[in-house]
Amino acid sequence: MRRLLLVAAVLLGAVAASKPPLDTLGIPPQDEAYYKGGVIKCRDGSGRFTRDKLNDDFCDCPDGTDEPGTSACPEGKFYCKNAGHTPITIFSSRVNDGICDCCDGSDEYDSNVTCKNTCWEAGKAAREKLKKKVATYKSGVVIRKQEVEKAKEAYAKDEVELIKLKGEEKILQGLVDKLKEQKKLIEKAEEEERLRKEKEEKRIKEEADKLAAAEKKATDASQPVDSKETNEHVKEDDSKVGIPVADQHELATEHDNHVPESETSVEQHGSESQDDGRIEAGIVHDTAAKESAPSTEEQDPSADNPEGLSREELGRLVASRWTGENVNEVNKDDKKGHEDEPEIPEPAEEALENELEVPEPAEENYGGYHSEIEDDRHKYDDEDFDHESEDEYVSDHDEHVHSYKSDDDQKHDQPSDVTTSGKASWMDKVQQTVQNVLQKFNFFKTPVDLSEASRVRKEYDDASSKLSKIQSKISTLTEKLKHDFGKEKEFYSFYDQCFETKEGKYTYKVCPYKKASQAEGHSSTNLGRWDKFEESYRVMQFTNGDKCWNGPDRSLKVRLRCGLSNELNDVDEPSRCEYVAVLSTPALCVEEKLKELQNKLDASLKQPGHDEL
Amino acid sequence: MDPPPRRLAALLLFLLLAAASPAARAWKKDEFRNCNQTPFCKRARTRAPHSLDAPLSLAAGSLSVGPDGSISAELSHPSRPRPLVLRLSALPPDALRVQIDEHYSVSTPPHRRFYVPDVLLPDIEARTLHLPEPKTAAGVSTVALSSDLEVVVKHDPFELTVRRARSGDSVLSFNSHGLFDFEPLQESKPEGETWEEQFRSHTDTRPRGPQSITLDVSFHGADFVYGLPEHGSTSLALRPTRGPGVEESEPYRLFNLDVFEYLHDSPFGLYGSIPFMIGHGARATSGFFWLNAAEMQIDVLAPGWDAAAAPANERIDTLWMAEAGVVDAFFFVGSEPKDVIKQYVSVTGTPSMPQQFAVAYHQCRWNYRDEADVDGVDAGFDEHDIPYDVLWLDIEHTDGKRYFTWDHSAFPNPEAMQRKIADKGRKMVTIVDPHIKRDSSFHLHQEATEKGYYVKDATGNDYDGWCWPGASSYPDMLNPEIREWWADKFSYENYKGSTPTLYIWNDMNEPSVFNGPEVTMPRDALHYGDVEHRELHNAYGYYFHMATADGLVKRGEGKDRPFVYQELSLLEVNGADVGGFFGNPEPDLLVRWYQVGAFYPFFRGHAHHDTKRREPWLFGERRTALIREAIHMRYSLLPYYYTLFREASVNGIPVMRPLWLEFPDEKETYNNGEAFMVGSSLLAQGIYEEGQKYVLVYLPGKESWYDLRNGSPYKGSASHKLQVLEESIPSFQRGSTIVPRKDRFRRSSTQMVNDPYTLVIALNSSKVAEGELYMDDGKSYDYQQGAFIHRRFVFADNKLTSFNMAPDNLGNKKFTTECVVERIIILGLSSGAKKAIIEPGNREVEIESGPVSLRSGSSSVVPTIRRPNVRITDDWTIKIA
Repeated sequence: MRRLLLVAAVLLGAVAASKPPLDTLGIPPQDEAYYKGGVIKCRDGSGRFTRDKLNDDFCDCPDGTDEPGTSACPEGKFYCKNAGHTPITIFSSRVNDGICDCCDGSDEYDSNVTCKNTCWEAGKAAREKLKKKVATYKSGVVIRKQEVEKAKEAYAKDEVELIKLKGEEKILQGLVDKLKEQKKLIEKAEEEERLRKEKEEKRIKEEADKLAAAEKKATDASQPVDSKETNEHVKEDDSKVGIPVADQHELATEHDNHVPESETSVEQHGSESQDDGRIEAGIVHDTAAKESAPSTEEQDPSADNPEGLSREELGRLVASRWTGENVNEVNKDDKKGHEDEPEIPEPAEEALENELEVPEPAEENYGGYHSEIEDDRHKYDDEDFDHESEDEYVSDHDEHVHSYKSDDDQKHDQPSDVTTSGKASWMDKVQQTVQNVLQKFNFFKTPVDLSEASRVRKEYDDASSKLSKIQSKISTLTEKLKHDFGKEKEFYSFYDQCFETKEGKYTYKVCPYKKASQAEGHSSTNLGRWDKFEESYRVMQFTNGDKCWNGPDRSLKVRLRCGLSNELNDVDEPSRCEYVAVLSTPALCVEEKLKELQNKLDASLKQPGHDEL
Repeated sequence: MDPPPRRLAALLLFLLLAAASPAARAWKKDEFRNCNQTPFCKRARTRAPHSLDAPLSLAAGSLSVGPDGSISAELSHPSRPRPLVLRLSALPPDALRVQIDEHYSVSTPPHRRFYVPDVLLPDIEARTLHLPEPKTAAGVSTVALSSDLEVVVKHDPFELTVRRARSGDSVLSFNSHGLFDFEPLQESKPEGETWEEQFRSHTDTRPRGPQSITLDVSFHGADFVYGLPEHGSTSLALRPTRGPGVEESEPYRLFNLDVFEYLHDSPFGLYGSIPFMIGHGARATSGFFWLNAAEMQIDVLAPGWDAAAAPANERIDTLWMAEAGVVDAFFFVGSEPKDVIKQYVSVTGTPSMPQQFAVAYHQCRWNYRDEADVDGVDAGFDEHDIPYDVLWLDIEHTDGKRYFTWDHSAFPNPEAMQRKIADKGRKMVTIVDPHIKRDSSFHLHQEATEKGYYVKDATGNDYDGWCWPGASSYPDMLNPEIREWWADKFSYENYKGSTPTLYIWNDMNEPSVFNGPEVTMPRDALHYGDVEHRELHNAYGYYFHMATADGLVKRGEGKDRPFVYQELSLLEVNGADVGGFFGNPEPDLLVRWYQVGAFYPFFRGHAHHDTKRREPWLFGERRTALIREAIHMRYSLLPYYYTLFREASVNGIPVMRPLWLEFPDEKETYNNGEAFMVGSSLLAQGIYEEGQKYVLVYLPGKESWYDLRNGSPYKGSASHKLQVLEESIPSFQRGSTIVPRKDRFRRSSTQMVNDPYTLVIALNSSKVAEGELYMDDGKSYDYQQGAFIHRRFVFADNKLTSFNMAPDNLGNKKFTTECVVERIIILGLSSGAKKAIIEPGNREVEIESGPVSLRSGSSSVVPTIRRPNVRITDDWTIKIA
């Protein structure tokens, strides 16, 4: 140690003692040859200068060629050797300006400051840092390889799955069609019977009444009406983690037509979605108002008529013009930076039209990273997919909510009556059941066998519900596979993950390929929906988030960097409502970069300064 | 916030640059009074000439010269409770002061009228001339003011004219239209009369009743009138507000108001008020200044407004209406506009010399949020090699808008932060507004409450308004004791977290009161000395600013010039927020704004918090380079700017000037609102449209002009259709001038101190040019004791000579520098000389062809003396051989 310090002192001495020779001052070694001749050209071709004008502190070449070692040319560059550390090139404006820029102090050879040579210390620190970075990359590259392998498998699996699902869809569609036909026939028979009975009504009134009552009862039984409340409760909880259990209920309750689930989800989303509906209306209003000039006033009925406001209200109102705050939310000045947040109630994503068109695909786990097969099979074996099992699921799921951690929410097992695997068995079973039903039913029996009729109806309902689910899965999967997962599908696992971080009172959540949000307590602000990768997969861009009052739609740029695990950090809002964040991920630990860093490290270890030491 | 910035500082005499802001849509017209809703204005404005019920006449016997050399007389009408006292006094060289107040000893009202204190220079009475005895004949008295100027006072009705003695030409006249009205103070409210006034939900109790003053002033020989800052206007000349050819218009209003998104072409009052007007024409130049801090409304009357049979084209009539106060007015007579300005500053004082850094580039935003943000912005400038000197923090830096405090989560180490910035020679500015948060745990509020330092409401309680912090009160800055108390708050001890490189920004000092009438303080609020707010409204910010500036002087023990930016308009230091406060400018127009802003006296980028970030490097490499070049240009011209600020501090001539100030005889310049002069040597004209291909530029004067970038010559007294370049706005150096530059760029002006000079000589047709250079330590008051260098450069007979201009008897402090001249560029030199000889020393130096500005790719076209290396402090000559 002592020896090293001594050497450093010697280096420092060398800097302070003499002005470096003019013919090399500020010139990088690779350029020294350029300056060898007696007459030297300005690099920009604007002229030439004789060797005695090199570094004579007068700018002859506007591009700075003749003054690499002085501050004379505004566009010049000065090279510091920085023995012991990395050489750098600084702007000529820094030469002899009284501030030490080069760690070897060579930029202040003729000024009133004395710069200590800090290259050895700085170099050492930099090398340590570089070493650590190389180490991170080394491990990261390995992790990344595994992830890429997994992703490729998963991708292939999903593709196979999609083909399978399409096949099943075809079969199931056939069954549904048959059942529908059957159902129609039954209904026709029933109708005929009803008419017949009506004619007899007067005569056998009592009996007819009884019959009608029984019929009604039978119809009701096929609808899980009493489960509705529970269902909605479930939905509400689910929506917080974004799991579309709703789909299931909707499908279970919707009968004939396959209504795109997204539409129904808005209408049926329980209390939260009612809010959303209101908010959505507000947004539409906002947009419309914005297009027609003085929007803000229109929104705030008091704005145009401050008379009748209390003194305080008036004060707040006027302040709000400058700040862009919502008057009703004012006096948050102290809460710097985010004062505006609450002014627009959060339009939850379900309320946004775009979102509606895309069924939330996140929730079903196709990845195969963890097994849900048994559960699913079990449920399927249950045959009668009823609300009881859902209740179980609800409580089950609630636990998940509590233990929910940032990036694994997608790994919850989803209850599903349509499983990825084990299909053969359930499909066989469905087919078998349907066959049985179809065969068993005797159309020519009169009066209609009511229990048989209800079985047909039930089978039809079940089958069409399953068909809807399969179709939903097909569309979900198709939607997923449409995305860009990187050159090696290295971002495939991101699809089913969200990343979270807390900054102060806010929790930020980034779900790649979906959306990003900022939550404070119960209110959540949409920071943007997935847009695309930028800068060769180094940045994830989310755009068109909630509108800022008087500002842009919120947006978020997530910069990716190599790290050993997926970690979200450093959320910031450099411009109003334009957020940035950093995500460390093995996906960015690429081999080429590792090589580059390794070379840099090797070079820094071989530096002359270092060798001397 | 950033109100000031948000506010365009439109200056008297200065070109107004229209902000491309979303203005019109947001201006709340209904929240501000118009003339019809303002009884004194409505009454006065609808009155016909010579139609007063009680016109005033001068009592002939009362006219006398007093022991102080002034003339006094009584003005009266039988219907008045008491006569008025007229006092006329003369200030050399050509200024007449007219004071009119009530004769309180005849019958005494409960309150007297308010004289605005601490505005006029303290020695003004001492400088008053002893006037000769007036000569009276046929109801007209004449007093000689100087050899060629006299005042003619007509007795009945009272009328006053300043005219040339020899030619008899009138220059300025007062009450020539018989509209002078002076509502007498009443001793009590007559039965059945209502004094209260309502505006929207606000009631003005007006306990002292009507007291307005109206007067008409005519500017003879004027083609245009200018002045009355501050208004949003796209025209430099004041457009008529009444009379033939004028559409329905409000008068120009002087009433300081915190206007959100003001209209850019409106006579409506903005953030500051200066009741000063200049009339200028080919035949005469004159000025009128009415020292009065009450609301004022001024009509500029179009010829024929008075239904005169033959409308006089060679005269502009104006009507001035004030809600309260006295007549304390100055008539300035110039042979040219600069004389009028010099007379104005001889009454009000010249601007003080700024610190060097104040003249450089400032970076502001509402808000740089925390220390990391400050750090990042500071580093961004260095990364992109863009110089800047000052980084500003808006209201969010405080703990809940309690000024003099810090938000400790965002700024945990303010001193370390400032030191880090200061290590690069840079400074910081924090905002301190006059509204004090009414929070009993806030020491400032406690203290002000206990000491009774707040402005009172009409009932005598501390006035409680609403501003950024919520409920707020306002220190009564009219009181010198309170100003002193306030000044002490800036000591390092009191202002925790402040360091010697921290300076101050005052804002919201109209005063802005969000829930007050017209967003300001009620007129019946009470100040020190029982003065109603209506009487001093327009001066509240002035006193506030005065107290803050005193605070910084005190803090620096009198050794550090204060830098206090305020939103009120100033004659000398002004400049719109570069980029505009509201909205997001088109990136190309942001570049244009930097290019024109680089010529403003005060050059600062600023933005509202709803805007996108717009630090200079955020718009792509090309635009970054263009903005860097614009800022570099400003930095290279810093020696010239600093010299101009010196000139302003001596004689009041502003840095940024309308063309007619330099070319008073050229009619083409009178209504030119496009181009402006920087000092007397440079002319610039902004480009305000995206993608503009051509621009028409009028270059005044007989001499040639030289393009600042490439030295190309252009003829004077001609309009030139020029191709618009991406790299710069049209900007020229005038033939016959020498401009000092420093062509090395640094992080900030601090590091340029020892850098060598470049002198740019632009020859006129006689191959002659001259210029000046002033320098001092850039921060202390030592210059007042002689510690400065002032050189004069003259080029004639192929020889450049440097003379000392500094008198040697100013004091015993010295300033010196080792700086040399590294380059002399000579524009308009025809000879192909290759050498120059420097004396003393008989040293020979080369002349070669060089570029006018050092940028990659610029061509070498101009004779350049290479490395003469003469010391800037020395006398020397350089002769072209």
